[in-house]
Amino acid sequence: MDSDLVLDVKGVKKSYGGVEVLKGISFSLHRGETKVLIGPSGSGKSTLLRSINHLTHPDDGKVYLKGEEVTDSNIDKMRARIGFVFQDFNLFSHLTVLDNVRICQIRVNGVERDKATRRAYEELERVGLSDRADAYPAELSGGQQQRVSIARALAMDPDVLLFDEPTSALDPELTGEVVKVMQQLASDGMTMVVVTHEMSFARQAADEIIFMEKGYIVEQGDPQTLFTGAENERTRAFLNVIAEHG
Amino acid sequence: MDFLSFGLEWLPQLLTGVPITLALWVIAITLGFFLGLALCWARVYGGRVWYWISTAYIELFRGTPMLVQMFFIYLGLPHVGIVFDAFTSAVIAITLNSAAYQAEYFRGSILSVPSGQLTAARACGMSKWQAIRHVMLPQALRRVIPQWSNEAIIELKFTSIAYTIGVVEISAIAQDIGSRTLDFFHVFLWAGIIYLVLTSSVASLLGWVERKTWVPGVTTQ
Amino acid sequence: MDIYDVLIRDFPFLLKGLGVAIALLFCLLVIGLFLGLAICLIQLYGPRSRFVQWPLIVYERIFRGIPIIIMLFIFFYGLSGVYDISAFAAAVLAMGLRSAAYQSQIFRSAFQSVPEGQMLAARAMGMSSSKAIAYIVLPQAIRHAIGPWTNEFSSQIKETSLAYVIGVVELTRQAHYIITSTQGNVLIVFAVVALLYFILNRAGNSALYAFERKLSVPGFEK
Repeated sequence: MDSDLVLDVKGVKKSYGGVEVLKGISFSLHRGETKVLIGPSGSGKSTLLRSINHLTHPDDGKVYLKGEEVTDSNIDKMRARIGFVFQDFNLFSHLTVLDNVRICQIRVNGVERDKATRRAYEELERVGLSDRADAYPAELSGGQQQRVSIARALAMDPDVLLFDEPTSALDPELTGEVVKVMQQLASDGMTMVVVTHEMSFARQAADEIIFMEKGYIVEQGDPQTLFTGAENERTRAFLNVIAEHG
Repeated sequence: MDFLSFGLEWLPQLLTGVPITLALWVIAITLGFFLGLALCWARVYGGRVWYWISTAYIELFRGTPMLVQMFFIYLGLPHVGIVFDAFTSAVIAITLNSAAYQAEYFRGSILSVPSGQLTAARACGMSKWQAIRHVMLPQALRRVIPQWSNEAIIELKFTSIAYTIGVVEISAIAQDIGSRTLDFFHVFLWAGIIYLVLTSSVASLLGWVERKTWVPGVTTQ
Repeated sequence: MDIYDVLIRDFPFLLKGLGVAIALLFCLLVIGLFLGLAICLIQLYGPRSRFVQWPLIVYERIFRGIPIIIMLFIFFYGLSGVYDISAFAAAVLAMGLRSAAYQSQIFRSAFQSVPEGQMLAARAMGMSSSKAIAYIVLPQAIRHAIGPWTNEFSSQIKETSLAYVIGVVELTRQAHYIITSTQGNVLIVFAVVALLYFILNRAGNSALYAFERKLSVPGFEK
């Protein structure tokens, strides 16, 4: 068995009210890899991402994290090892930035308070927000909130980080700071799956781009190949549209 | 079965209290409605003196129990030469109490109408009064329906307090039947059922009014 | 002078009545708090089965639809026929169970005003649903609930006076005793009694308001 294999997704299917949004998706992710999922809205990218940690329960298929299957009975343990960054941040609104980054370390991983605090500051430092540790989410800009939510995920020491359109809810002038943090993570060797429309990020940080449409993986490959000469016509069409508008 | 046979025997007599209960309720919340509007008016638009008078009134009546208010009017006022019969005393107490709550609900809904609405009405040439009458009130009254319904139902239940000063409504009749049969438990169970039917019917009726007057955007749902 | 009689000679009796009223208030609010919270949690997170949910709906309907006076009589006469139960205990039970029906609704809408993303994020970080409720949703719901809860507190203070009808010697009944035994001035006695309720209400409201301010967090201001 491949010791570098972190995430292995096998034949994941999901339907909503008779409409199949994921038609048997498989892909795998190795340590230190960054894969970017792109595709038109409604193509199933977010559903796929949420199927990995069962925020959406897949109808069929299997997900393995470092060889261990994600199941209903071990789901909380698995989720603690799978970082998830939401489109709309979902910081805990009654907690300060520091507590947001600490609480799951303490309550889920059982990390001792002082250690959790130190770790929280490290991660806040990494996203450039250690000076806002005492602020509440409502006092931060969207970009800052998203960076805190990345720190919150990182503090759990995850095996893999999943990003669900992390910049889509942000004003255009705030996306840059979040993308920068993500690029840094990618080059630091974090293992990540990113759903995004930020093509600059895909181009620079992705080891592989997966293009999805209508519940299928249409094409996958390294950014160089995909951006310059995608084989599939639909991939090219999509990239052209994005290039014009993004 | 005890419960059923008791009901068969005494329900007709219990039901004779229903008109009194309903009369007490309808008169009091109607008078309370107008007094409440006036109080709200005084508090929002009345200037400094009226603001303080209406605020003091509202705080006083919301801060003290209805039972004490009723005793004060029925048992206390005769000491200074003001005498009302029991029914009138109950009507006055419930009216005064309800007006204080209704005023606050009206105020809340008036303040929740965006100020741009009045400005727009004035901008197209309406007088202040016209703007209030044709733009603000229709919105404010729709917004207030859910809270007003709650308040009306609370007052319906509060009419039972009138039995303590001898108004012969449902609870008093129940008390009377209880002392004749010495079966207070069953008579009050039946009284409870009557009230439950009354409050549920009023709730459905007011829910129907709310749906009938519903306009998209002005209220939720 | 009547007013001095009430304030000096009769005041200890009124205070004694006030003490009973406060004890009743405290007991009924505690029962209402725990039972109301339990009902709310079952309604929101418990089994969806009709056999669980229906009885709760019926419970709320009954206790919210019947006047408290009637409930007091039903509990007092119903229980004293079977058990040797004091009027005070019957009042605590009737009013506590009734308050639970109101408090469950307060908590339910408070829980529902916590955005779903909060629960989702907590679960995504690996919290079990009970941890997510305890550490993330409940602390936020409390902040939403405290305003409406203050209203419930106010109405319950006033409704303790109704325990008078089953013979609990609380403030209002003490006032009655004073009037009948001393032929005192009814107007003054009831004015003083009203004032005591008013002060108690105000004090409670201020305390709860201070608590609300203490818990206040940016983003939760109303």
